[in-house]
Amino acid sequence: MHPRDPAVSIGRRFFLSRACAAAPLATAGAALGAALCGGLTGCRTAMFARVMQPGEAGMTGSHQAGRETFNPLINEAVAKLLARHVESPVQQVSFEGAEPVPPPVKRICFVGVENRSAEDIGDFKERIFEIIDGRILESQVFQSVNRRFVEAGLRDSRLRPDQLLVPENMRAFAVLMEQQGQPIDYLLYATITSGTTRENRDYQRDYLLTLELVEVGTGGYDKQSAELSKGYHHSRLGRWRAAKTSGSP
Amino acid sequence: MIRGRSRSLIVPLAAALAAAAGCAPHVVRLQPVRAAFQRGDVAEAERLLAADLEGNPDDADVLLLDRAVVALADGRPAEAERMLRRVRDHFDAVEEADAAEQAASLLSDDGALAYAGADHEKVLVRAMLAIANLVQDGDDAEAYSLQVVEKQRTIVAEAARPDGTNPKASYRQVALAPYLRGIVREATHRDYDDAARGYAEVVAWEPGFRPGPVHLARASGGSHSPRGHGVVHVFALVGHGPFKADVAEVPTSQALLIAGELASAGLPAALPPTLAPIRVPRVIAAPGNAGSVQVAVGDWSAGHTDTITDISRMAAEQEEAMLPWVVGRAVARRTVKKGTIFGVKQGLGLNSGLPAVALDVAGVAWEAAERPDTRCWSLLPDRIQVLRLELPVGRHSLDLRPLDRAGRPLGPAVSRSVTVADGRNTYLLVHATDAGIVGRPATSSP
Repeated sequence: MHPRDPAVSIGRRFFLSRACAAAPLATAGAALGAALCGGLTGCRTAMFARVMQPGEAGMTGSHQAGRETFNPLINEAVAKLLARHVESPVQQVSFEGAEPVPPPVKRICFVGVENRSAEDIGDFKERIFEIIDGRILESQVFQSVNRRFVEAGLRDSRLRPDQLLVPENMRAFAVLMEQQGQPIDYLLYATITSGTTRENRDYQRDYLLTLELVEVGTGGYDKQSAELSKGYHHSRLGRWRAAKTSGSP
Repeated sequence: MIRGRSRSLIVPLAAALAAAAGCAPHVVRLQPVRAAFQRGDVAEAERLLAADLEGNPDDADVLLLDRAVVALADGRPAEAERMLRRVRDHFDAVEEADAAEQAASLLSDDGALAYAGADHEKVLVRAMLAIANLVQDGDDAEAYSLQVVEKQRTIVAEAARPDGTNPKASYRQVALAPYLRGIVREATHRDYDDAARGYAEVVAWEPGFRPGPVHLARASGGSHSPRGHGVVHVFALVGHGPFKADVAEVPTSQALLIAGELASAGLPAALPPTLAPIRVPRVIAAPGNAGSVQVAVGDWSAGHTDTITDISRMAAEQEEAMLPWVVGRAVARRTVKKGTIFGVKQGLGLNSGLPAVALDVAGVAWEAAERPDTRCWSLLPDRIQVLRLELPVGRHSLDLRPLDRAGRPLGPAVSRSVTVADGRNTYLLVHATDAGIVGRPATSSP
């Protein structure tokens, strides 16, 4: 009896041994199929999260600007603006020995953040607004008008933020805010712009945050900016080479 | 004895086949649901879906998507939002490929894979979330609208291949996403730049959307609405959306037949013959005759809704782009099955005779047991349409009349009152099929 003869019976041991021998072939077939599919990427993973500690290095946006870009821009631009407008307490000359009188607080209406960059900054826009607004309020150089009053003023006047710069509109808006019990001395605009330089598949994007302060009474204005450049590389090698050239880590 | 052994190999396979044959495919099971919804019987659609969900808990996600549409049509947006959110989160959780599931799908069919939604469904679940939220308090609508934009971007970006090609690069973007962002940001009266950016994308992505340039011009240099006026945004879910059907891929089946014959000529054991055709799921558009929704305020005919997203077209185009991969998977699966039978024959030394034939029969049956994965969001509309109306502050009664594609009335008008607030948006959602207005229009207005 030849075991390969299909006309004869197959013993259990023989069947099992052959089946074991066949298994790798079947497995190889499955592996081939899997390779053809190109879809085997491993086990499905769940999402995990953790609270990041203060001061801990955050993530860096790989395709567009994120906190690593906007936080330094905001810090620098706001600090520059506030430094320029800090006023020393006034010493009254008529009455020597009197306590210096603090300068009157300037009321500032932060109109909004305008994104003119090449990127859609998505949920960062509201965050940028809140951070700038918070910093200004903390500084005690300016007193910021609550944004809800600003939005109500814009809605009631049907004026666009850019239309407020027309003197007539500016006066009308100031009167409206005063009627709401929120007199204003300055309008503040924040604008994000960008410039892109390409080098083959890598590119550098320069981000600029500009704060423009417009005095309502006179129309005079001050402007402070902060700039940050970021390189986007198509490969780790490209990033490494760029870092090596610049000497940065 | 040999016969007995062979039978012992075949019987389990046959039993598995019989069991598989007993389960109707998704597309067949859901046909009565589609029919009920399209004829405007929301209660029957809800009842059928609940019954199907009980019997097919593995299909919970797609069935919940359909139930969400029914809930929206029935004027229950909060319930719809909860269901959509659950599905969105689960789609995200199962989106990543799982090796065990992939291997199982090679030995059976794509039904073994957890359903993570077709690409257009992943985007639209977020868009529907935004709409469902807008017709309530709208607190989360901005977040949802951002998610729609982000999801579109991610789907295309993640499909990039190492050789620089991207099969999804040609995907048509859902213009509803930037439109939603535009209308939400415009209502702040502050972020016109965001609105203009959104409308610019709408114009670029959906050039056929007639009011697009008007919206862009208004956001770029105008204002939300005149003083003493507010805006009513009407969303209309129009027509019968696409579904997936089981279609034989004839050229591929013939190619595999020839390849099998060529390979068998040089192999020590024959491959199982290719009798069962390669079958793949294909998107079928059956949009029906519903064309748009005409809106009248009192005696004034305010206009009709315009298409901002053609879901059937988008689903078909996306499927076309990915079809080679779908067919590739089907061929790979067939290769594995043939290879496995060949391996067993080789291992057992069964090159001819009845046992070999029996194994071939088992192989053919195994191949024939494959079912294309026809799971889909079957109650999606054919098109999402919008209409923007500037109305004076106060209460207004809107008459919503379904029109066919030629602009003729499809059914009676349905009235819905809305209260317009100064400088603010009010949202209204309506469903229209060939049977007319389905269910009750939902609105954010008190």
